[in-house]
Amino acid sequence: MSTDGTTPNIQLGDYIVIQRQKYTKLQKFGSLDTTSTLGKETLELKSLLDQPYGSTFKMCVKETKTGKRGAQRQHTLELCSDTELRSTREVLGISSSGADNRDICDNGEAQALKSSDIEQLREACNESSKIIEKLVENSKTFHTRTEYSQEKYLLKKEKKYFEFVQIRQPTIRLMVDIFYRQDAEKIMGIRVDTLSQIISYSGVCGFGSYLLYESGTNGLLPAAMMNSIGAGTEGTLVHMHPGNVPQKQALLALKLPLEQQKRCVSVNLYSVLREFYQGNVAPSIDPTEVEAEETLPETPNEEQPEAVEPSTKKPKLDEAPLSGNNKGPLRWQIENKRASALMHGKFDSLVVAAKEHPSSILQALLPLVRPSRPVVVFSTCKELLQETYMELKTSGKVTALHVTSNWLRTYQILPNRTHPEVNMSGNSGYLLTGFTLK
Amino acid sequence: MSFLKPKTHIEQGDIVILYLSVNSMHAIEAVPTIVNKKGETIQHIFQTNYGSLKVESIIGVEYGSRVELSKGWANVLQPTPELWTQTLPHRTQIIYTPDISMILHQLEVRPGAVVIESGTGSGSLSHYFLRALKPTGHLHTFDFHEARADQARDEFKRHGLAAFVTVYHRDVCNLGFSSELDGAADAVFLDLPAPDLAVPHAFKALKLSGGRFCSFSPCIEQSQRCIQELTKLGFNEICSMEVLQQESVIKTRSLPVIDLEFLKLPKTNETTAQTTPSAEESKTPKELKKYLTSSNPQTLPGHTGFLTFATLPPNIPKA
Repeated sequence: MSTDGTTPNIQLGDYIVIQRQKYTKLQKFGSLDTTSTLGKETLELKSLLDQPYGSTFKMCVKETKTGKRGAQRQHTLELCSDTELRSTREVLGISSSGADNRDICDNGEAQALKSSDIEQLREACNESSKIIEKLVENSKTFHTRTEYSQEKYLLKKEKKYFEFVQIRQPTIRLMVDIFYRQDAEKIMGIRVDTLSQIISYSGVCGFGSYLLYESGTNGLLPAAMMNSIGAGTEGTLVHMHPGNVPQKQALLALKLPLEQQKRCVSVNLYSVLREFYQGNVAPSIDPTEVEAEETLPETPNEEQPEAVEPSTKKPKLDEAPLSGNNKGPLRWQIENKRASALMHGKFDSLVVAAKEHPSSILQALLPLVRPSRPVVVFSTCKELLQETYMELKTSGKVTALHVTSNWLRTYQILPNRTHPEVNMSGNSGYLLTGFTLK
Repeated sequence: MSFLKPKTHIEQGDIVILYLSVNSMHAIEAVPTIVNKKGETIQHIFQTNYGSLKVESIIGVEYGSRVELSKGWANVLQPTPELWTQTLPHRTQIIYTPDISMILHQLEVRPGAVVIESGTGSGSLSHYFLRALKPTGHLHTFDFHEARADQARDEFKRHGLAAFVTVYHRDVCNLGFSSELDGAADAVFLDLPAPDLAVPHAFKALKLSGGRFCSFSPCIEQSQRCIQELTKLGFNEICSMEVLQQESVIKTRSLPVIDLEFLKLPKTNETTAQTTPSAEESKTPKELKKYLTSSNPQTLPGHTGFLTFATLPPNIPKA
């Protein structure tokens, strides 16, 4: 969503969201040779360049390879207009249907076409509606099915043979869905409702200075907070993490303007606290400081590009642009200084989403928060927050303490067929919230 | 003026949250005098369960401090939309933080966004929208009740938010949003008895580059009609959900551990000789164990409303 009402175009280097029906995927459009895999389909992304976001593309089969798990198809993408997309029911002009399922039995003979016939059909036809038309023609039971059942059948087939993909610009909303569906562990199990509440309770907005500690959410939490801080505002974020290099995928995917990127200062928790408490002792460019840092566990060092990023196996070269080697202070040193200055100025809220026990982290970071400011701690287990709740309550430094969790239920709402979805997520995680006192 | 940005000290005219306990907090205006029912200007004294507070005394105090009441003490906090939602004067039913958070997330509200809201109601949600979209965005909020619209306008002004909001007194179901807003909004939020009537107006108000839509309704029939209308107009990604928050009540409990093992053995001579069962019990002191426990409260919100979200895709002709 752009605020000026124009739709930006797809550029090389962008992260893009590829959507095929309800399936979405985050993909880096790194070069013209980039391909993306959706199940058995491989898409060549070349033709996306300079097209507006939100466009729909048709997958055109280029070649079919026989792989281990059936046919692998390589597709090129062709820009198409939305009018090509129509309901399959309309296209096929289906009119007759049965009243109930009394005449339908599962004898495996309903479909006259064999799977080899269907494979051939798939190569011959470019349009899913034609394949589905043939499937319907050759189905002995289709017209005895109820209207609802027919619709379900068509939707199922459409899902399999659907030949259109839409390219969208990544937003926090799209990314949390993708990350949570693909591997919730990688974002520490932070569900959409919980993320939305972290943003609310922390009060993060265009004014103020915010502090976040997170141990690995693919960049989702800093990205969500930077998104709320906004472009062209005065808000700043100090993002503390435990590793050598911050996880930044979601942050990079948002493609924030440079001035906004600069207001997110990512620093290693250990080295920034050392800088904060002892920083004035060592001269800023002194190489001995690097050596001293290296004795600490998990501190950034000169070989940042070689450092292993916790989430991905390979280091990402484009994520660690260092200021010239051995000339002037290193980038992480500059960031530590900037963060340290913000820490001296104190923060307007604290968010902690830690894989470690939150208690000692809070002990270290709470003194950096001004009085009457929100504190939000996320954990997947209630027990950790129970203990932390008691500690904070006893300390008297934080008030209005609450531990909460959520139910999130989605609904199918259709005429005469409204009910909650059959599956729901059972674990929202827990939030501990409160306000600091003087 | 205390809603604009984080601040450190209470200034005259600020709304201040007087926090007494989890179940007791109040929003008070930091002014030394108020006008009473008889029209006389009197000193502003605020009464609480822990005695009275001379409000003048808190002006200049740092937020987060403890202030003395005549029979106890309280903390003064800078209001946030979350605290305001829990203390604001109800003019209507309001939406609470869990639903609101989801609404802001799904509507992708961020600084710079132009948001349309109907109805304004008590302004609970409006404060959240304003926090999320200021300083570069704008909220257009509509209510068909004139007094409520006026009250809300006055409140936003006193809260230092007037620059980012326009309050309209207008029946949007019949009259639509004003024509200046055609194609101007990034997001539209409806909390109306008949949201389906306003969907075509929302369609017109959203930008040509597309936008997000949300309707909050307590009854599923409203959502059904709304979705029919949305589908007709070409909205996609239509999705309905319910968010309910549960609080965990955390307490340290001391539980007695009772010993039942001795009952398996015959009574020894000395005990049989002298005691009754009750005396026997008291002889072995009960063991106490401490546990940190968490339980759910007796009553929870079981339903608030159905949230229906949808996307208006880009470049749908609106004529």
